[in-house]
Amino acid sequence: MADTVETAVAAAGARPAERSRWERWLIWGIAGGILLRLAMVLGLSVWFEPLGDAGDWFIEGLPWLVLALAACALFAVASSSTNSISLSDNRLRGHVIGWTIAALLLVVLDLLGPQIKSSVAFLGKPARIFIEFCGVHGTFLAAVCLLVAGALATSGSEKHLVSRPGMFERVWASNLTAKIAAVPMMLVALGVFTGGTIWTVVYSFTDSRLLPREKWVGLAQYDRLWGEDRWLISIENLLIYGVCSLVFSIVIGFLLAAMLDQKVRFENTFRTIFLYPFALSFIVTGLVWQWVLNPDFGIQGMVRSLGWESFTFDPLYNQDIVIYGILIAGLWQGTGLIMCLMLAGLRGIDEEIWKAARIDGIPMWKTYLFIVIPMMRPVFITTLVLIASGIVRVYDLVVAQTSGGPGIASEVPAKYVYDKMFLGQNLGQGFAASTVMLLSVLIVLIPWAYLEFGGKKRG
Amino acid sequence: MADTASLNMTAASADAVATDLSGPRGPRPRPRFSRRNIFLYGALFVVAVYYLLPLYVMIVTSLKGMPEIRLGNIFSPPVEITFQPWVKAWAEACTGLNCEGLSRGFWNSVQILVPSVVLSIAVASVNGYALANWRFKGADIFFTILIFGAFIPYQVMLYPLVIMLRELGLYGTLWGLVLVHTVFGMPILTLLFRNYFTSLPEELFKAARVDGAGFWGIYFKIMLPMSLPIFVVAIIIQVTGIWNDFLFGVVYTKPDTYPMTVQLNNIVNSVQGVKEYNVNMAATLLTGLVPLIVYFISGKLFVRGIAAGAVKG
Repeated sequence: MADTVETAVAAAGARPAERSRWERWLIWGIAGGILLRLAMVLGLSVWFEPLGDAGDWFIEGLPWLVLALAACALFAVASSSTNSISLSDNRLRGHVIGWTIAALLLVVLDLLGPQIKSSVAFLGKPARIFIEFCGVHGTFLAAVCLLVAGALATSGSEKHLVSRPGMFERVWASNLTAKIAAVPMMLVALGVFTGGTIWTVVYSFTDSRLLPREKWVGLAQYDRLWGEDRWLISIENLLIYGVCSLVFSIVIGFLLAAMLDQKVRFENTFRTIFLYPFALSFIVTGLVWQWVLNPDFGIQGMVRSLGWESFTFDPLYNQDIVIYGILIAGLWQGTGLIMCLMLAGLRGIDEEIWKAARIDGIPMWKTYLFIVIPMMRPVFITTLVLIASGIVRVYDLVVAQTSGGPGIASEVPAKYVYDKMFLGQNLGQGFAASTVMLLSVLIVLIPWAYLEFGGKKRG
Repeated sequence: MADTASLNMTAASADAVATDLSGPRGPRPRPRFSRRNIFLYGALFVVAVYYLLPLYVMIVTSLKGMPEIRLGNIFSPPVEITFQPWVKAWAEACTGLNCEGLSRGFWNSVQILVPSVVLSIAVASVNGYALANWRFKGADIFFTILIFGAFIPYQVMLYPLVIMLRELGLYGTLWGLVLVHTVFGMPILTLLFRNYFTSLPEELFKAARVDGAGFWGIYFKIMLPMSLPIFVVAIIIQVTGIWNDFLFGVVYTKPDTYPMTVQLNNIVNSVQGVKEYNVNMAATLLTGLVPLIVYFISGKLFVRGIAAGAVKG
């Protein structure tokens, strides 16, 4: 009696616990095999080199061993399946066939690699690299594809509709087009953003010069970095520029937005004028302000020609204030954007608030200061993060306006990184400097992300 | 003056007919020249002048001859208008040994711009669509990484990308730069498209699925025709962003394929020779012209684009 109940439950969709455990093992096996192979290619193989020939065997064999274990798990899944496995009534027949064809193609590419390579020479280097890649990893990937096909064949063997799709099916078969379409995003997110960042951080601990190399030197690069005048000046400049540009662009941006919010005429004209510098590049901005601040012909020259002979305003030629000269240009370019964001924030505030404040007889500046600004907190925070992440990147403006001069008085970290990496043939320093930049951004970013997104999930 | 007065009269009489005996309505009329208004418009005017000044200086300088620049100050309008600097900046200005002017940089930039815009928007819109309507497990993780990537300083990813492009054989070519722009345009554009597609009524999507449309069918037949405005916004963001880019241009291309901004910087900041300020300003203006035209044509959409990109980012 109990036996029939159990079969009935199984038939109604509740998977035997044993089977889902084997499925989990299968997924981990395949993923582990791929990851292990990837790690071997990318440099984990160094660990096995001291073992000599046995090490070579390990490098080649370990991923295959994991795949073999996954195949065992697959066998266990198949044997614990309550239904017979036949392709003709498989729900996932299309997927199974697709993965099998992929496996066959990979094998063909692997075997006929050289011939294909010579016949598709017109496709250019990317195609050749792809084929070469298949030649090296084709067999392994074919095995992976076959495993996936097998797993889908077993997990799709249950015909009843109520059955909850197995884990494997959810990962590999459901919504597959969307997943394939999102592959570029995954590649960028993992390969470039995560992988690239980790790569740079890791190699900042090496003694790389012209080319990256794996000679670990611990924190030596950082020691040198913080001992260099140029880097210290860069950091100091960044701090001055950052604080001033945060304060001024928020204050000016808010004041402009508040003025435009007074139902002024020609609001669109004014907004267009305030925002147009934002459309211009930092290079154009820097070059224009270099010209306007030119001591002979620019503002100083004009005031002197009016008769005030001792007037001096030459920020770009004075080491002490050069960063403020850059700040003027940066503010000119960026405040329009802040104004627009603030204006959007102000418009988002309910008109009733204003009416209530007026009825209570609160003066306008007080309404702004104690009611409106606190209500606009999200806008301010977003603006803050936006400006902060932009400040760290300041590079083009300095290059165009002063090229870091006079001397090294207006260097910034981004320029330091570029110069060390691509001009100074000192990659290690560049990596270390960019890692410090990354850290400084994360210090701002993580609390913000926590406030912005962490709260929502809990609430 | 008489016109406005009569208009006010008619408006008032119409109002009176409509709301008989209910007393004066609307806000209290304000005097036109109150002290507040003078301050307000005065301040706005002064700020507007500050913002317009560099543009004015650029135009004025580029229309003067060199002798006039040496004598006068930069704010005085040109006595004798000459277009020679513009011609020179376009066709003859030198960077190092090369004297082809900005034209080459311009065409390089165009060659980079068009495929980058098309490719990045195509990829990002499909991504956004997949994220909005075909959510799958783990998608949010990738999306979060992508958004974080938008804030991470590019410097961290510069060199790994150099290696990747070199492996692909694209380092130093225009297509390599196109790929880089596609990668770095992805966070902001994906966010833009995801938010837009999420805001579309879900019933449309469901109806299409019931009718048997698949992933691509829904995308091309339903989503694409409905999202023209957001595509325009994306195009504006990308055109100005890619045209104005300097860092990627200087890192991922070679002197033959330098985009316009890089070439402009090399022309103006080259140390050799006499500085020809008028040619420099003409070159600067030429480089800024494309985004400026985009800005002035697109108007409100530009604002919407940066607001969409910024507020939610």
